[in-house]
Amino acid sequence: MVLSAITEFAAQEPKIYGLVIGLVAAAILASIINVVAMLLVWLERKVMGDFQARYGPNRVGGRWGVLQLGADAVKLFTKEDVIPRGADKPVYVWAPIVAVATTMLVAGALPFGAVIIDGKEIPLVVANMDISAFYIEAALSIMAISAFMAGWSSNNKYSMLGAFRGIARMIAYEVPMGICVISVAVMAHSLNVVEIVQAQSVWFAIAQPLGFVIFAIALITDLGRMPFDQTEAEEEIIAGYNTEYSGIRFGLLYFQEYIVMLLGSILLVHLYLGGWNGPVIPVISFISPMIWFFMKLVIVLVALIWVRVSLPRFRIDQVTDLGWKILLPLSMVNLAWAVVVGLYFA
Amino acid sequence: MSGEMMAVDYYIPLIMFLIVGALVPIGALAAVKIISPQKSTLQKRSTYEGGLRPIREAIIQYNVQYYLFAIAFVIFDVEVLFLYPWIYVYASDAIPAVGGVSIAITGMLIFIVVLLIGLLYDIKKEALRWV
Repeated sequence: MVLSAITEFAAQEPKIYGLVIGLVAAAILASIINVVAMLLVWLERKVMGDFQARYGPNRVGGRWGVLQLGADAVKLFTKEDVIPRGADKPVYVWAPIVAVATTMLVAGALPFGAVIIDGKEIPLVVANMDISAFYIEAALSIMAISAFMAGWSSNNKYSMLGAFRGIARMIAYEVPMGICVISVAVMAHSLNVVEIVQAQSVWFAIAQPLGFVIFAIALITDLGRMPFDQTEAEEEIIAGYNTEYSGIRFGLLYFQEYIVMLLGSILLVHLYLGGWNGPVIPVISFISPMIWFFMKLVIVLVALIWVRVSLPRFRIDQVTDLGWKILLPLSMVNLAWAVVVGLYFA
Repeated sequence: MSGEMMAVDYYIPLIMFLIVGALVPIGALAAVKIISPQKSTLQKRSTYEGGLRPIREAIIQYNVQYYLFAIAFVIFDVEVLFLYPWIYVYASDAIPAVGGVSIAITGMLIFIVVLLIGLLYDIKKEALRWV
């Protein structure tokens, strides 16, 4: 009843509907994403601790240290806000804001699972655009710009190096990543993420294993995680682009990395691991797509942490070489493969 | 406005997302302004440089090699942009076929091969070497 009334209103007044639904969904999603990203920071520290045979956070909030992040937040909020005197102030101030705001742009077009109502699958996505895969990829790459803003405006040599590295890394992997998205879309005959998920009767990770590997590497690079975190490489350039940031401004930049890690993992699950597809679980069929989606997401997140603790950091020249000289030609091969399979075996 | 959702309508919720996304960090910064101490000194606000006084500005001209990456990137990014609309037509029957293969595919193949030759030339000339 209520649902049909809403759909009718949406059809009659799409602009007002868009405004209202956008505002409501943005407020809800912003809070959920922030909480999940906090949990993710905790999960990473805890899992890293386990991998490295130590405890991880274990003091604040009982044995598991679940309140550690709350304590960290209190510390960041009560710390003095220092703006270095050499900094380019407007750009320096805006960099963390741009960083967090653009992650929300990605969240708006990304489906967060699906629910089954009356045997019909309803994806939970705010802006279900025809080109959402393209849009998400474009919005993800704005991240490099906020990192460059932060590094350049700090007027610190280490930050500057980190910023330049960030852009070089981004442009080296943007092209293979884009071609991987295209290869997926070629097989699914659509650029809409929802339709890409629905087209995966066979996971695209199995249909094009090469593309999966290339996309996973490009994604880790885009997220700036080990072994591709040359932008902040503590041992070489102090903390890279966020050397001059402290207190809440640092907190925002740090936090944004985890939000993007979450969103990037969701994108990987949708494009290659069949999204929320999975056999319907009988009794709780209503949320069975959600269960599959979250299981896949957690596995991807833990895998990302696993990669981080297992591999040492590459040199920056090795990173650009890998992107331009190996992944770019290989992604072309993968595209040819996708076209052949998409034409003759689909 | 009634009836079909227009393409532009999809972007209205996204604008709301951008606004909410900007309000979160702005709110956090405002909260910090209120609750955190403000005792700024000249020493505290100096630029970090391993314990020394910073020498000269950090905002510099970078090695020219760096811009070659950017140029190569622009070329290949435009190629990727051409590929996006191509997804919708490559399997279409409306496009004539020569020798059993659609022109859309042969055309794109030629385009990609030409660009790959360019990439090989770049690599051979060491334009894509980080220095």
